[in-house]
Amino acid sequence: MKHSWRAGAALLALTMAAGLAGCGGQTSDKTQSGGEKDSYTVGIVQLTPHEALDQATQGFQDALKEAFGDKVSFDLEYAANDPATCATIANSFVSSGVDLIMANASSALQAAASATGDIPVLGTSVTEYGVALKIDDFSGTVGTNVSGTSDLAPLDQQAAMIQEWCPDAKTVGLLYCSAEANSQYQVDTVQECLEGLGYTCTQYAFSDSNDMAAVTQTAADNSDVIYVPTDNTVATNASIVDNICRPAKIPVFAGEQGICAGCGVATLSISYYDLGVTTGKMAVKVLRGEADISQMPIEYAPQFTKMYNKAICDDLGLTPPEGYTAIEAE
Amino acid sequence: MLDFLNALPGAVSQGLIWGIMAIGVYLTYKILDIADLTVDGSFCTGGAVFVVLFSQGVNLWVALLAAMVSGMAAGLVTGLLHTVCGIPAILAGILTQLGLWSVNLAIMSMKANVALNIINPDVLNKLLVSLRFVQDVSKGTRPFYQHPIFVVGVVTVVIIAVLYWFFGTELGCSIRATGANQAMARAQGINTARNQVLGLMISNGLVALSGALLSQYQGFADANMGRGAIVIGLAAVIIGEVIFSKIFRNFGLKLLAVSIGAIIYYMVIQLVLSLNLMDSNYLKLLSAVVVAVFLSVPYWKGKYFAKPVKRGGVNRA
Repeated sequence: MKHSWRAGAALLALTMAAGLAGCGGQTSDKTQSGGEKDSYTVGIVQLTPHEALDQATQGFQDALKEAFGDKVSFDLEYAANDPATCATIANSFVSSGVDLIMANASSALQAAASATGDIPVLGTSVTEYGVALKIDDFSGTVGTNVSGTSDLAPLDQQAAMIQEWCPDAKTVGLLYCSAEANSQYQVDTVQECLEGLGYTCTQYAFSDSNDMAAVTQTAADNSDVIYVPTDNTVATNASIVDNICRPAKIPVFAGEQGICAGCGVATLSISYYDLGVTTGKMAVKVLRGEADISQMPIEYAPQFTKMYNKAICDDLGLTPPEGYTAIEAE
Repeated sequence: MLDFLNALPGAVSQGLIWGIMAIGVYLTYKILDIADLTVDGSFCTGGAVFVVLFSQGVNLWVALLAAMVSGMAAGLVTGLLHTVCGIPAILAGILTQLGLWSVNLAIMSMKANVALNIINPDVLNKLLVSLRFVQDVSKGTRPFYQHPIFVVGVVTVVIIAVLYWFFGTELGCSIRATGANQAMARAQGINTARNQVLGLMISNGLVALSGALLSQYQGFADANMGRGAIVIGLAAVIIGEVIFSKIFRNFGLKLLAVSIGAIIYYMVIQLVLSLNLMDSNYLKLLSAVVVAVFLSVPYWKGKYFAKPVKRGGVNRA
C-alpha cells in the first residue's frame, strides 16, 4: 500500500517537473536567411498513407535530395487519418525546431499553420488554400510563413472531357464522401461547369465506406454518367465503385489517375509526384534563402495528362478519343 | 530526448484539453455506470458550433457557451432515447453519435472542415488557446498567463470545483445514487430517469466544451475530429484510476486524476512520436494496447498479487 502511494506521488511529481522543464525549453533559433547551411531537417506531416499523398511526399523528398544530397534529413509522420493527431505531430516538429514543415493534405496544413508563425510551412495536396485557412478574398498568396501547391485539377476541362466522351448523356451523378471538404468544393464547381454544358447533375454523398455501396448503387441507377472528384475515400475503395458501375455499364470519370485506374473510364489527371517535386523546389528556394515564403504564391501542377483505363473501356465498349494515353497496369 | 522535453508543453496542453472530455466520460462511465458513446459525435458538435459562431464574429465566451449547450442537447437526446424510449444506453449513444454526423455537417454548412483564420493576427489574438501560443510564450512574445497549460489548467480547476460542489448537493448526490444502485435509488423515491438524462447532459456539455477548445487549439473543426474520442476518454479515466486510486480518494481529486490521466496519455503519444520509437501509423494500435494494459492491471492485481486471506480472517480489532 505504502509503496504504491510513493510510486504514484513520484510519478505525479515527474509529470509536473517534466511539464515545467518543457515550459522553460527554448526552441532552437535557426536562421533561415541567406546562404546554405550544413544540414537541414524537414518535418513532413501527412494525414494518412494513401497512394496520391505518398507520391506527393516522395516527389517532395526527391526534389530536396537532388538539391541538397545528404545534407537534408526528413522526419515523416502519419496522422492515422485523425485531424487531432496532426496537431500533436506539428507540435513535435515545431518544438524540435525543424527548418521547414511540409504539410500533406488540408488538416495537416491547418495544424501546422496553427503550430507556428515562424517556421516556413509548405502545403501540398490541398485544393483551395483560401478555404483551408479561412481567408476571405484570397489573392493566391497567403502572405505569412505559409505557402504550397494545390492539387486542383482543371475542373472546367474535366467537364469538357465528359462531354467529349459521352455527348449523348443527360444526367451526371456526382459521387463523393461528405467528410471531405475538398471533394465538396470540386463537386460544386464541376456541377456548375456541367450544368453550363446542359447536363442535369445530382450530388450523391456518402458518409463513409460503410454506406458507399448503397449510395453508389443509387447513383448508378439514376445517372447516365458518374463523376468522382479527387476523393480520398473513393480512392481507397475504388473497387466498390467498379463492382457496381461496370456491370451496370455506367462510365465513371475520375478526378485523378489513381481513382481512374481503379474504377474510372478516363481522367484528366495531375501527377501527385510532379506536384510533390514542385513543392520540393519551393522548399529549396526557401531553405537557401533565395525566396521569401510570404511572397510566394500558391503553385499548381505543372501539367495535366489525359488518360483512360483500357480494361474498363473495353468492357463498356467505349473507344477513347484522340490524345488519351492508357494507364499502365502496375 | 531533448526534442521530447521541448515538445512536452504542447503535449501537456493537448492532454489538458482532452482531460475535460475525459472528465465528461468519467461522469457517465464511473458515476452513472453508463458507457456513453455519444461523445464521438458531441465532441465534434462542440468544435463545429464554436468555429462557425466564432468566425461569424460572435463573442468567444458566448460561442464557448453555445458549444457547451449544443453538447448538452446531444446528451439530452441520448438520455431521452434511453429513458423514454427504453433503448439500451450503449445503443442510444451509438444512435445519437450516428445522427450527429449529419447534424455536424449541417452545422458546418455541409462542409467537412471549417477553419479559423489564424493567419490573421486579429483573429489569433482573440482566441483563448492556440497551439501557436505554446511557442510564443516560450519565446517571450506572449505573457505566461496565455500559455494553454495555464489557461486550460484554470478552466479544468473551475470545472472540477463546480462539479465537486454540484455532486455534493442533494440533486448531485441523487445522481450518484442512481449510478451506484438504480433499484435502491428508485426505492428511495429518486427519479432515476431524470437523473440519467441530467448526467448525460452534463457529461456531453463538457465533451463539447473540450471539442470547442481543441478546435481553437488546432485552428479548425473537422467532421472526423471526434472519432475514437471515447477511447481516449476511457484511457484517461483508467490511467488516472490505476495510478492514483490509492492516493486520491476525494471526489474532486478523482476528477483531477482523470485530467492527469489524459495528460499522461498524450505524453506517451508524444514520446513515441518524438523518439521515433515506431511508425506513426501504429499510433492507433498503441492507443488500443495502452487502454487494454491499463484495464488489465487492476484485474491482474486482484487475481495474482492479492494477499491470501489468513485463516480465521483479518483481525480488525
